[in-house]
Amino acid sequence: MNGRSVAVVGGVTTKFGLRSSTWGELAQEVGAALFRAVPALRSEEVDSLFVGAAEPERLAFQSHAAPYVAEQMGIRPTRILQRTELACASGQSAIRSAYAAIASGLSDVAVAVGLEKMNLPSMAEANTAMACVMDRAWDGPAGATAPPFFAMVAQRHMLEHGTTEEQLAAVSEKNHRFANSNPSAQFHEKTFARDRLMRLPLVAPPLRLGDCSSMTDGAAAVVLVSEEAVGRFPDPPAWIRGSGQYSDFHNLANAGSLTEWTGLTHASREALHRAGIGIDRVDFAEVHDCFSISEIVEYEALGLCPPGQGGSFVAEGQSDLGGAITINPRGGLLGCGHPLGATGVAQAVEVFTQFASKAPAARQVPDPEWALVHNLSGSANVHSVMVYQRGGAS
Amino acid sequence: MSDGARPARPRPPATAAPAPVERPTEREPPPKPFLLDFLPLESEKETRLARFFARLAEGRLSTTRCPSDGRLLWPPRTACPYCHADGLEWVDLPTEGRIYAFSAVLAGAPMGMEADVPFAVGLVDLAGVPLRLFGRIEGKPWEALRIGATVRVETYSVPDGRWFYRFRAEE
Repeated sequence: MNGRSVAVVGGVTTKFGLRSSTWGELAQEVGAALFRAVPALRSEEVDSLFVGAAEPERLAFQSHAAPYVAEQMGIRPTRILQRTELACASGQSAIRSAYAAIASGLSDVAVAVGLEKMNLPSMAEANTAMACVMDRAWDGPAGATAPPFFAMVAQRHMLEHGTTEEQLAAVSEKNHRFANSNPSAQFHEKTFARDRLMRLPLVAPPLRLGDCSSMTDGAAAVVLVSEEAVGRFPDPPAWIRGSGQYSDFHNLANAGSLTEWTGLTHASREALHRAGIGIDRVDFAEVHDCFSISEIVEYEALGLCPPGQGGSFVAEGQSDLGGAITINPRGGLLGCGHPLGATGVAQAVEVFTQFASKAPAARQVPDPEWALVHNLSGSANVHSVMVYQRGGAS
Repeated sequence: MSDGARPARPRPPATAAPAPVERPTEREPPPKPFLLDFLPLESEKETRLARFFARLAEGRLSTTRCPSDGRLLWPPRTACPYCHADGLEWVDLPTEGRIYAFSAVLAGAPMGMEADVPFAVGLVDLAGVPLRLFGRIEGKPWEALRIGATVRVETYSVPDGRWFYRFRAEE
């Protein structure tokens, strides 16, 4: 039993990148943009606000973040106001919480916003914040951050399955190409050919600069309403049909296999089961390509290709527009940048845009009905999945 | 918000200089700020795992084992996450292991580690126990490391007197 049906009926994304804006200014910008983009939404009817923000304490030196963001956005919640924190999946957590609130009847009209300001005067300070996502006291002193962890995933995948650096670069090339037709992407209008990607400097071997999503400033927001209110909004609603989540470790010692992300398999099966479909029905997916190797392992864990075959899946164009399934038409985290809290919400905005067939032709999936969104967080120890279905236009 | 209608707050009358406050002649130094680095707090006053760090100072890497279900737990804990027993016992860990995976930090180091770049890190399967620990790997540049190579566990002290552990690649 899923409760009331809930849909995303509008959304916006700010420009992602190195922004000359504070964290609070990003909240103002996305709030103003949301109400301009969704004229049917009145600020006084928004009864709940969920703020996906991974590390405002460290990156903006601001706690009690939800009321701060509410004021910046011009929203005065009367039912539920809260921040959701799940590191890289904080944005999807905001959407999932809004979904649960509306499905249960506690909320009727909710906004889920995600935002992060990651470019600081001292990038070592920002890197410190990122390192705290890991088990700070036990893995942290050794210098555990995301790049060396995912580099070890890549190293093991190469050893166990023969995955190549060129296959890693194929992921990055595809997603940067999609980002070229996404004006809000950090790397819009920048071309990264495969051979150039393979000559960029190493960050954490075997991963190079182009294999890693960047430190990005940005915000995104979506409006969610119950089935009773959907008809007031003109674009096709993106119905949330299922969600699933799986968490199985935190300290790196307890990771088990680096190359089999069974948590994603569990989370996606749960979400697809609730939606009543199989992965073969999904027209496109927004998956968490925080690193190029992540997307390759995710193809396998989602069951899009046999275990170990993710490298050839992308190299053969199976995850490109016109392939078996389009993966990351928005441009992914590699092409758009990865402002932690904003990413999951921006992925939902892409689903809404694709369902309305309003994406530029270079990344528009033809007539999509089903979409899957995935975020991992931390060291791929948590996986969060949502499944959306396009509804009819009002 | 205007408070123009509110009566003016009465001002305290002007007085002579306040009476001198008695101050202790020797002040306790203020506590040092913590959570500015990654290392755990280690003293008896701060953690129930102080024995772990005391053993590190003796050159011993240890952890807790659950006496009820026999599981070896990492990191050391105060209660078993499987059977929820407390009263865990301390055991020394093997001093040798083999590299399962490794990489190196060539950019993007956190504060306090910038001067260490480049440095190698890895997951190491400890010999004879079901534990795969993450840590720094010293002794060789990252380019010379190999999966399966033997490394030794070593403990080291940091300038403020705390202790931690790392791996050293064999020559």
